[in-house]
Amino acid sequence: MPKITLNGKSIEVADGITIIEAYKQLDEPIAHYCWHPGLTIAGVCRLCVVEIEGNPRLQIACNTVVQDGMVVNNNSEKVKTAVKWGLDFHLINHPLDCPICDQAGECELQNQYMEFGKYDPEMAEHKVKKRKVVDLGERIVLDTERCILCSRCVRFTNEVSKTNELGIFNRGDRSEVGTFEDKPLNNKYSVNTVDICPVGALTSKDFRFRQRVWYLKDKPSICTGCSTGCSVNVYYNEEGIFRLKPRFNKDVNGYWMCDEGRDIYKHINKENRMVRGRYKKDGAWCSTLPLETAKKAGEKLRTYSADQIAVLVTGQYTNEELDVFVNYAVNKLGTKNIFHWKNNPDGWNEFDGLLLRGDKNPNSKGLQKVLQKHTVGGEWKDLVNQIDKFKAVVVAGPENLQAYPDLKEKIGTLARLECVVWATADDNIAFEGLMDFTYLIPQKTSVEKSGHFTNYNGLEQKVDVVTTLLSDSLNLEETVELLVGESVDMSQREKEDMHVMKKNYFTTERGRL
Amino acid sequence: MFKLSDEGINFVKKELARYETKRSAIIPCLYRVQKENDGWVSPESVSYLSELMELPEAWINEVLNFYTMFNKKPVGKLHVQVCNNISCCMLGARELTDHLCKTFNVKPEEISEDGKITISKVECLGSCDTAPMMQINDDYHENLTPGSAEKIIKGMLNGN
Ligand code: SF4
Ligand code: SF4
Ligand code: FES
Ligand code: FES
Repeated sequence: MPKITLNGKSIEVADGITIIEAYKQLDEPIAHYCWHPGLTIAGVCRLCVVEIEGNPRLQIACNTVVQDGMVVNNNSEKVKTAVKWGLDFHLINHPLDCPICDQAGECELQNQYMEFGKYDPEMAEHKVKKRKVVDLGERIVLDTERCILCSRCVRFTNEVSKTNELGIFNRGDRSEVGTFEDKPLNNKYSVNTVDICPVGALTSKDFRFRQRVWYLKDKPSICTGCSTGCSVNVYYNEEGIFRLKPRFNKDVNGYWMCDEGRDIYKHINKENRMVRGRYKKDGAWCSTLPLETAKKAGEKLRTYSADQIAVLVTGQYTNEELDVFVNYAVNKLGTKNIFHWKNNPDGWNEFDGLLLRGDKNPNSKGLQKVLQKHTVGGEWKDLVNQIDKFKAVVVAGPENLQAYPDLKEKIGTLARLECVVWATADDNIAFEGLMDFTYLIPQKTSVEKSGHFTNYNGLEQKVDVVTTLLSDSLNLEETVELLVGESVDMSQREKEDMHVMKKNYFTTERGRL
Repeated sequence: MFKLSDEGINFVKKELARYETKRSAIIPCLYRVQKENDGWVSPESVSYLSELMELPEAWINEVLNFYTMFNKKPVGKLHVQVCNNISCCMLGARELTDHLCKTFNVKPEEISEDGKITISKVECLGSCDTAPMMQINDDYHENLTPGSAEKIIKGMLNGN
């Protein structure tokens, strides 16, 4: 294994890695735009230059392989001057729209400029004007003036999504990134190009102009969009969640995530949530605190005998919740009639070859394991076959209702029962179709609780509380405890929730613009 | 819809087989398309070629846009490319271009009303020793004066 010296520090590294990778291992700062660990090497931005002892010319670190005994630095005057000039070239035609650019605050061009900027423009020529606000389909807007032509996005569509839509057209200072004839960039992974674009040339339609990034905090979590369970960072503030970005995880998603997964924050935000507990009485809806609704539902439920109660459960809850839920259903409600509701049984095993799976639940594997432990668990069709023998049903419903397009149809079937107790995080018009003795109990979402999800591959991944959006909604464990008539001490949890909520006020405390 | 002739299709297939990567065959194939499409490469013809070569449209477009010898807009029957680089300019290429545009009543890079002629300014065509010079379709015409150039073009227009 070669031993090398970087900025005066010695390090032993694996054979065949590049100098930039060695810098990353040492956690030493090194400027770069075009290099990305998940893509091939382009070597076009010339910002990663280093000085190698014994070598008269500066070399680019991203495309130079380490050799034993190399002595390298990137902090000499020679390197700094080169980076300074490199940066000056990048800025010749850059529009400097930072005040209206969404990348501001997380823009590599800004960051490098703070470090190496010449602060004194010497360019006498006019900037070359290029196209702005180019609509690239459902999710992406392109500003070709802001692009520094690093080609990361082009390599992404060639190498990762393998959809090849992007290219760099024309040449010289008229070079422009784009799609052929401005065709939409509607591949299933398109927003990754926005993440890897080091500047604000590619922006997300969903996120642009909605928040300044310095008003957001981020915490790690897991995407609940499908059974792959990609690692993500959730960006939020006291108003709610604004976006998800992939977090590197070599075992699951690498550097990427799909576009569909990025939308899950929408159903988590307050606008779509079931805020109050609701129950139907004499044909009209009444609302109470979630806790009270669960208690009322429990009272009604316990008037039925065990074999009149069916339980329907989705793989959208944590292992910890499901463990208690199924255990209580079997041992306290006394029913063995527990059914697994799948989002699309026909496409259940679909896989697009990259990340996205047909099983749109974060924890189907975990649920199956719990059901096996208690030797219960039929399918939806089994429930339908024997529906006449049931009078009441308890549903641990999906948090992500969009993933369950058959919701209305299922509700239609369940409405034939006398009593429906439904744990749900989101509100939906379809619930209106339910009759008297329906109880809708608001649930927490995946970012508001801690626990584990088991992905398609049996990998158990931890989630922690990211933020609290609705402090009085319940988790499934509390819900089932209340249903069987146990008491739940909410005071401790409320305290924790308040603590998290307070912490999220950091942005307003620092002051708005 | 643009389609290559059978001969053109065979040409493309041969070019594809000739190189290690399909991408390398883009230039000759684009030339062929330009030839069969009245002297220019239209967006539809790029889509067509993309299907034929089984290469992404964006990759073909990258090459098409990089080189000036591919025309991205329709051109007249006579495509007159007047060199406007240093050697030619020193010997009056700009004046020559202006003269031709005036005589044939057409703006540079545009197509004349009757569709017969386009005059464009191009970079060095590698014939500096015979400056000023122009290329009409595939042929070079050298050591020009405004008068001689006008005569050559008029002759070709009448011959048409
Ligand atoms: S759009 Fe962004 S990622 Fe793509 S080449 Fe330009 S700067 Fe790089
Ligand atoms: S592949 Fe699945 S887990 Fe990964 S981001 Fe997409 S929906 Fe989420
Ligand atoms: S990161 Fe090395 S040249 Fe761009
Ligand atoms: S400058 Fe005109 S041919 Fe070279």
